[in-house]
Amino acid sequence: MEAAIICNLRVHGQGENKHEEKVQDPDREKHEPKADMGSKTWADLAGEMKIFLWNPEERTCLGRTAKSWGLILLFYFIFYTCLAGMFAFCLYVMLLTLSPYTPRYRDRVSPPGVMIRPYLNGFTIAFNVSQPNTWQPYVDSMHHFLAAYDDKVQEEKNIECVPGQYFIQGGSDSEEKKACQFKRSLLQNCSGIQDPTFGYSRGQPCILLKMNRIIGYRPGAGVPVSVECKVQKGNESHLRSVDFYPGNGTFDLMYYPYYGKFTHVNYTSPLVAMHFTDVQRNHLVPIQCSLHGKGIINDLNSDRFLGRIIFTLSIGK
Amino acid sequence: MLKRRSDVYSVEIYGTKDLQKTEIEDEEEKHKDQKGNKKKKKAEDLKKELDLDDHRLSTSELEMKYGTSIDKGLSSARAAEILARDGPNALTPPKATPEIVKFLKQMIGGFSILLWIGAGFSWISFGIQLAQGVDSAFDNLYLGVVLALVVILTGIFAYYQEAKSTNIMASFSKMIPQQALVLRDAEKKELPADQLVVGDIVEIKGGDRIPADIRLIFTQGCKVDNSSLTGESEPQSRSCDFTHENPLETRNIAFYSTTCVEGTATGIVINTGDRTIIGRIASLASGVGNEKTPIAIEIEHFVYLVAGVAISIGVLFFIISVSMRYKILDSIIFLIGIIVANVPEGLLATVTVSLSLTAKRMAKKNCLVKNLEAVETLGSTSIICSDKTGTLTQNRMTVAHLWFDNQIYSADTSEDQTTQPFDQSSPTWTALSKIVTLCNRAEFRPGQENLPIMKRVVVGDASETALLKFSEVILGDVMSIRAQNTKVAEIPFNSTNKFQLSIHETDDPQDKRFLLVMKGAPERILERCSTIMINGKEEPLDSEKAEAFQTAYMELGGMGERVLGFCHLYLPENEFPETFQFDTDSMNFPTSNLCFVGLLSMIDPPRSTVPDAVSKCRSAGIKGAVVAVTGDGVNDSPALKKADIGIAMGIAGSDAAKNAADMVLLDDNFASIVTGVEEGRLIFDNLKKTIAYTLTKNIAELCPFLIYIIASIPMPIGTITILFIDLGTDIIPSVALAYEKAESDIMNRRPRNKRRDRLVNQQLAVYSYLQIGIMQSVGAFVTYFTVYAEQGFLPSTLLGVRVNWENNAINDFEDSYGQQWTHYQRMYLQWTGYTAFFVSITIQQVADLIIRKTRRNSIFRQGLFRNKVIWVGIFSQIGIALILTYGLGHVTALNFTPLRFQYWFVAVPFAILIWVYDEIRKLLIRRHPGSWWDKNMYY
Repeated sequence: MEAAIICNLRVHGQGENKHEEKVQDPDREKHEPKADMGSKTWADLAGEMKIFLWNPEERTCLGRTAKSWGLILLFYFIFYTCLAGMFAFCLYVMLLTLSPYTPRYRDRVSPPGVMIRPYLNGFTIAFNVSQPNTWQPYVDSMHHFLAAYDDKVQEEKNIECVPGQYFIQGGSDSEEKKACQFKRSLLQNCSGIQDPTFGYSRGQPCILLKMNRIIGYRPGAGVPVSVECKVQKGNESHLRSVDFYPGNGTFDLMYYPYYGKFTHVNYTSPLVAMHFTDVQRNHLVPIQCSLHGKGIINDLNSDRFLGRIIFTLSIGK
Repeated sequence: MLKRRSDVYSVEIYGTKDLQKTEIEDEEEKHKDQKGNKKKKKAEDLKKELDLDDHRLSTSELEMKYGTSIDKGLSSARAAEILARDGPNALTPPKATPEIVKFLKQMIGGFSILLWIGAGFSWISFGIQLAQGVDSAFDNLYLGVVLALVVILTGIFAYYQEAKSTNIMASFSKMIPQQALVLRDAEKKELPADQLVVGDIVEIKGGDRIPADIRLIFTQGCKVDNSSLTGESEPQSRSCDFTHENPLETRNIAFYSTTCVEGTATGIVINTGDRTIIGRIASLASGVGNEKTPIAIEIEHFVYLVAGVAISIGVLFFIISVSMRYKILDSIIFLIGIIVANVPEGLLATVTVSLSLTAKRMAKKNCLVKNLEAVETLGSTSIICSDKTGTLTQNRMTVAHLWFDNQIYSADTSEDQTTQPFDQSSPTWTALSKIVTLCNRAEFRPGQENLPIMKRVVVGDASETALLKFSEVILGDVMSIRAQNTKVAEIPFNSTNKFQLSIHETDDPQDKRFLLVMKGAPERILERCSTIMINGKEEPLDSEKAEAFQTAYMELGGMGERVLGFCHLYLPENEFPETFQFDTDSMNFPTSNLCFVGLLSMIDPPRSTVPDAVSKCRSAGIKGAVVAVTGDGVNDSPALKKADIGIAMGIAGSDAAKNAADMVLLDDNFASIVTGVEEGRLIFDNLKKTIAYTLTKNIAELCPFLIYIIASIPMPIGTITILFIDLGTDIIPSVALAYEKAESDIMNRRPRNKRRDRLVNQQLAVYSYLQIGIMQSVGAFVTYFTVYAEQGFLPSTLLGVRVNWENNAINDFEDSYGQQWTHYQRMYLQWTGYTAFFVSITIQQVADLIIRKTRRNSIFRQGLFRNKVIWVGIFSQIGIALILTYGLGHVTALNFTPLRFQYWFVAVPFAILIWVYDEIRKLLIRRHPGSWWDKNMYY
């Protein structure tokens, strides 16, 4: 039936079409310019853009005359100058309230973190005993680091202190503070004096461990903080012996508290040297060295450098 | 004559066919696109439709077939039975766009695509970093997941909002149901059109939508507009004659959903609901594509603007960071941050909520908004075209004056008239009252005998109603008078004739003559008269008497009253015997040389609210070129469709007008339009405020990234933190601005110029981005530097530290005091910085929220506490910030940390500065209108 209707329509349609076209033609002509106005061509857009960038008639650039630009730029110049002034003033006032020697808060920096030397962009110490070029960078790094601990330098700049107690210095904040000597000779086998290769040439590397400096911090609350190392993951027999210097691997109390870099100028962080004298060769041995003492946190999952450090030893032939 | 008619007829038929053809072909194409087999189904449908043979049957056969009676209609009980069998007379709604498609549209529309790009980049950098074995690779994975979640959640919200507002709109359209005049139990009743059943006798007049497929049994100059069915816009005449085998083309069937444009008709319902022709061609009933409303255009413009800013800043800084020797991967991560900072993630949802809040508010004030975004259009209205009837007046026509026997009589127009005081002794009045009573199609709805006459509900138009009530007051029971003077023929009023005529038997059993009564436009009536009745006697209508008529007509018309002329003629008994068959089509009776009897004039008292509303419109500058058109008649509907916003009257409006309109005034009150204009402007203002509020903090979110890249300081604010501002603290305040009351000048402003006055204009963007936004950034940076300085990192130390700061192998990073920090300790401090930055932005956003309450007036004039919702916003903002900081401060994945109490107040001076600066801005704008300041600072 549908088909029938269409057929029917086609018959009539032929006659009709002419008539329709005639009627529609003028309409179409009328509509065409309208359609153009509706959808702009790229040429139009480019033209408009040009006028917007520079309108020669009204002498405007980006829709503003020179005077208008001058005014608006002047306004923003003044506005931002005032704002910058206020910013500087606020910071100035804030900085005035701060002590130059002690930060107001130390809750984010304590308890202390731990770092090791040698440090060459990572925590894997890998070398082959027979190839000096594999361990020489570590040795150089150690020498460089320990230069400040040369006995002569220490004797010249720093004083001898009483071991076993905190070295508390009174007086005003701004007064210069004395620093205690920490001679590299204290590190004995790891001092680099007898063995300038720090044991690396024999496959018994020394690694120095230091505790982060925190102003006013008194680690261990009267009992020196000690260091302990163990295999972090895997076979414990891979790490058979470690020697600690000085003493039993403790940070003497006399090096604390720290008074900040402006008054405690020559302060040198105390160190604990770890001499790995018997480590399984040709294996990656992950080792965790941690601090022990009152107030020390060394088991935080999120911070693997807080009160402990994890590094890998890989000693080859 | 006959030949010409057939020509016209054939052209008409071909025209219809041709249009049908295109319809059908269109249909076919659509179906081809979708499913091939639908075509077959459609062919069957068409076959079924052609089974229809009701147009061939005679009236009595139809009565038999449908078990109905033309005089009495169906009984209510029988109708209920059929209704139970067939179901209501309504179309099953056409299948809407599949929900999943709507949902997916929300997922990729607007800003979502930018965020997807951000998420994509995050995953790419995660992949690269994972391959490189970087520890923090998973951060990027999470960021990507969070971005995707944001898109999905805002998408779900927007989808839910849209569905909700669609439902609101649907319920609105249900509030204006179509009515049909039905004969049931021998009484005329108005019923909702969906209660119609097959066999019902319905009456249709000009302006009605045909309520079902109807076989016509009585017509009077009836023309229908079949455009909704065939697309043919030329009205086609309808009669009771079987003119064509094809039911689609015969004249005695009127189809559901088409419109009767003039005349009257009575018919039997032959198909209802989905069984109607239109129901079978269901796809025809689905709506045509809507044009974009101004607000949609504005929002699109705004999205383009912001996306443009985001992409150009992003690309610019990508190039800068690459040329500053940042790794490509890092540069990509910066790009993500810049995109996230620039995109106001929560804004589109806020806009939707604001719009639907306004629509609800308007419905309470009797404006039904059929098209949500039309609310805003109304605000930019510059011309209101209104017909006065009903809109400006009470739409209660009352007879005010009469003129007969060369004299003007005043009638009582009071609300509760029970008698009429003028002299009723003249026989001319007797004749006039007879015409008034008989030449009238209006009827009281049954069952109101106890009500005062003026309060009774009448089926009929306004002036007929006035005349009916007038004669009922004076003469008593009009219906029985009409019953005694049986009507034998009738020509209802139409716009070409401008008269109404009926022929009656008289109630005088001695007098066998027929009485022809006529009323209409006075000059047309007078043209047809050769005599005039003075004191009951017919006198020739000479120029002197015609002069007197003109004077009276001018006088009554001059008072703004609608004047109708009345005349009659007793048809001579010899020419028109009792058995004479009158034919209204061929007019086999005289319609000239009648006897003029008198004039009646009616007024429609203005509504009390109108003078005020008009003056408000004047001050709102309503003239000049968004056009709002009000209307109620079927003849108004093209105008309503064409207008930028069509407003139909809810009570008086015809179905056609309501269908064509964007908005329906439920109380037919012009003052409601003013409410609408005010609301429309208000929503536009408030959207402006919302957007200004939302955009401001984008700068405070973006600056950290730019300074981070250029000055290599530790990152001041995290991407996830930004999302917590955009989708957390800022959402409720920005919705709260939708509740803001209008500023005092809202109706004194000129209407919005669509081209110039954009929703987001240059001033708004510049003021928000370059002034308030920068202030916020400065305030937040002061807090940031304070936090770092008090922990040991002085500002000078922070510059240029980025590479070492972020290196997780450096765990003895030295601060300004010589203390050493592990990487995680630094990160934790960085998160504290994020939190501080976040809190500072939040605190300054409170100030931003307060200043955005007005654009010109002082806040103190607007009142700080008038909009309670703002305070809900402020408290929610601070509450959410407190929860994030202290409640979730230990969930490290969110990068919030507990914050020292005093850091909440570091940015307070800047918040106060923002407020004071904005007050000064507004003061200068008010003091110096038109000045350089006004032009550059007023948004």
